[in-house]
Amino acid sequence: MGAEEKDLRDFKLQPMKCELNFLSKSDGSAILSQGDTVALVSVNGPLDIKSTSQSIEKSTLEILFCSKGGKPSVADRYKENVIRQTCEKAVLGCLYPRTGITITIQELEDFGGFLSCALNCACLALLNSGVSLRHVFACVTCGVDEKGEVVLGGRGCDTQISCVFDSIDKTLITCFSEGTYSEGTYLEAVARCRAASELVFAFYRDVVSKYSNAI
Amino acid sequence: MAEIYKLIHPVKYFNDYISRDIRPDGRKFHEQRNIKVNVNSLKTAEASAVVKCGNTTVVCGVQLELATPKAEEPELGFLVTNVELTPLCSSKYRPGPPSDNAQVQSYMLSDIFSNSKCIDLKDLCIVPDKLAWVVYCDIVCLDNDGSLVDACIIALMASLKTLSLPTVTYDPETEEIKVDPDVRTPLKVDGCPVATSFAVYKLTERNILLTDPSAYEEEMCGGLGAHFTVCLNKGLICGNHKFGGSHLLMENQEEVLKIAKERANLVVKVIDSCIKNEKSIDK
Repeated sequence: MGAEEKDLRDFKLQPMKCELNFLSKSDGSAILSQGDTVALVSVNGPLDIKSTSQSIEKSTLEILFCSKGGKPSVADRYKENVIRQTCEKAVLGCLYPRTGITITIQELEDFGGFLSCALNCACLALLNSGVSLRHVFACVTCGVDEKGEVVLGGRGCDTQISCVFDSIDKTLITCFSEGTYSEGTYLEAVARCRAASELVFAFYRDVVSKYSNAI
Repeated sequence: MAEIYKLIHPVKYFNDYISRDIRPDGRKFHEQRNIKVNVNSLKTAEASAVVKCGNTTVVCGVQLELATPKAEEPELGFLVTNVELTPLCSSKYRPGPPSDNAQVQSYMLSDIFSNSKCIDLKDLCIVPDKLAWVVYCDIVCLDNDGSLVDACIIALMASLKTLSLPTVTYDPETEEIKVDPDVRTPLKVDGCPVATSFAVYKLTERNILLTDPSAYEEEMCGGLGAHFTVCLNKGLICGNHKFGGSHLLMENQEEVLKIAKERANLVVKVIDSCIKNEKSIDK
């Protein structure tokens, strides 16, 4: 994995480390660290859920976000929404009608860019659980420094733009941002994130090939 | 006949319209609904606004309160925004504690607002570490017919632009507070963030962007609320939220930014002319 880590450094992405099947009792789980930020995700399902939240067309995704402090807040609901909408696009829900898939995210360490780490970790946990997916997705965060230049990773920048891409066409699935920035900066950030997403996908491939011999 | 067709083949009905380059309500893809703004409609609030974008109706009321600033940030006042989605506005909402969707909308609004930095919280501080204003902006949705965040931001900005703060004198020795509601200073508002929502629909080969989607369109494009919201303040992007919907291509984004810019100019004009009219009536 040495070469890949060097690639990550060239792109100024945080070094990523991952372990699959971290939890023994869930259907799929992953722990991912991007630099100092660490997220733990467990996936359970498809399971039986109460009939009011069942959908006859597709499986219902339930996202639980647990922050480190354990106190629920409105910001957590927003993060849950970002993760739900992103995973809903990726999971082939029509294969499991009337069921529920629960994704639980536990924040372990947050040194910036947690949501981006949680999204990548959720993707790895979904891969590990064996739920059918349309595509995998990768989230990359860009920062804008004082000079108005786009830097990948971008920890500590006031302005941050995060983009999630799918693995097939590399089109934009989800995007969220903090701070203010110009149009040109935005378009550049999306392009830079798209380029860097290749590395995240390569990392996924490495992780999965380590754990499974069949693929 | 069309109504029955819509019920039996909802997807095909929608598709038929879109493939003929028109939306079911007769609008073109990038046509927006009419915006109506009325300021100072609630006399019990310090400042207020009612906004209608098509059928989407929101009311914003601003209340003022005095409080001690936080110890960590002794020079900052408070501005609290809250969006309430009552069962009145759509059959999707039930009475009781705010739903997940309401919390998400509320968070998005306060996030866009704080990112735009159009209000300097230092202006709300009266005496550092002792006294500051708390501005409560409560937004109630009366009718949710899509593009909710757009309407909420317009209502919020229109009411904040008309807000004026009473003069407060604070005696540091006796800690006595005197409020003079007759002498008021208007609140400084820097720019005016304007949000523009889009729904993204995938029509076999190409992606269609629907500007200012109605609730029906949002639902047909598969998602809770609009998929893509861009917020501009003085030409700078201060919020960019895209979830769900079809995936976006690069050329879509340039298109989006162009439309958002045009709309931002339009909305600022609407708000300003509304406030001007209101002032001339008062005189």
